[in-house]
Amino acid sequence: MTGIDSKIKRGSGELAILALLEREPLHGYEISKRIAQVTGGVLQFNLASLYPLLYRMEKRGWVKGKWEEAQSGRQRRYYHLTPKGKKQVAPLRAEWGMFFQALHRIAGVSHAG
Amino acid sequence: MPDDTTYLRERLGRLGLATRREEEIFRELGDHLVDHAAALEARGLTSDMAAREALDSVSNWPELRNEIVSVETEEAIMNYRTKVLWLPALCAFALSMVLLALLQIAGFRPRFYWLENGLFIPFYVPWLLALPIIGAVAAFWSKRAGGGVSHRLLVSQAPAIIWLAVLLTFMLISLVIDRHVPLIFKLHGMLIYIVAWVLLPAVGLLLGAAPFLRKPQAQP
Repeated sequence: MTGIDSKIKRGSGELAILALLEREPLHGYEISKRIAQVTGGVLQFNLASLYPLLYRMEKRGWVKGKWEEAQSGRQRRYYHLTPKGKKQVAPLRAEWGMFFQALHRIAGVSHAG
Repeated sequence: MPDDTTYLRERLGRLGLATRREEEIFRELGDHLVDHAAALEARGLTSDMAAREALDSVSNWPELRNEIVSVETEEAIMNYRTKVLWLPALCAFALSMVLLALLQIAGFRPRFYWLENGLFIPFYVPWLLALPIIGAVAAFWSKRAGGGVSHRLLVSQAPAIIWLAVLLTFMLISLVIDRHVPLIFKLHGMLIYIVAWVLLPAVGLLLGAAPFLRKPQAQP
């Protein structure tokens, strides 16, 4: 994803994170691992790109981080989707859908969703 | 990779955030790097190489630091200004206007101080007497929210400052519209209104705010 503009990456990352947390609370490393797995490595977030995004989403009240015990027994900061964050998922999905449709019309770019 | 945050602190330096939040961020980022290094080790890298590669995954540490600080402080600054300045200032102005309206509804009429040239200054004495309370409330509010002396002074003077802005606006409009009225009359009238609706209220507001404008005494 090095060639993709950071704003597009940030926007897509927000939707990716919200969609993942809709299923279950996850800690930061698990979020980056899942995004890479699910997208086949097309979307990759490392420490530098993930945490500023998570902190921004937390400031907006979309997610809430809580220290909880992981399966390993270590305390990890798990991110939970808040009701405010839940409300963002549908509009963001629609926005990205429109974005890809527009790109498809112009450049013949299609998307799976 | 050692399970501590020394290596992170060396690269990021101090973030200048609240100690608790800063600790939390270092701990969380440290956990991420430990997990990353462990995953690399599981793929066959030596412990040292895995640790180095995990750290190298961040190409620009100062940029990461700036981004985190910016995200963390952006909203804090906005909230801080809203709490110590905008909110108490607007409430002080609204309160002063409501009070004036209530006095008028209750039948209080302004006292007129006549000048030699036929002009007069209208005074709402009960309103002027109540302004120190509004100044005190605004300054106390800002102080409680953590505002500095300049914030407290500004919020306590908000009604007078807004009145000054209103009067100057009217003055500018009248300069354009009422061209038949001599300028000297306009300036005279303006001066009188500034005294009655800006300077005198400002003094009243300042009297009320004064006890809350002192800087805290330095501890010996």
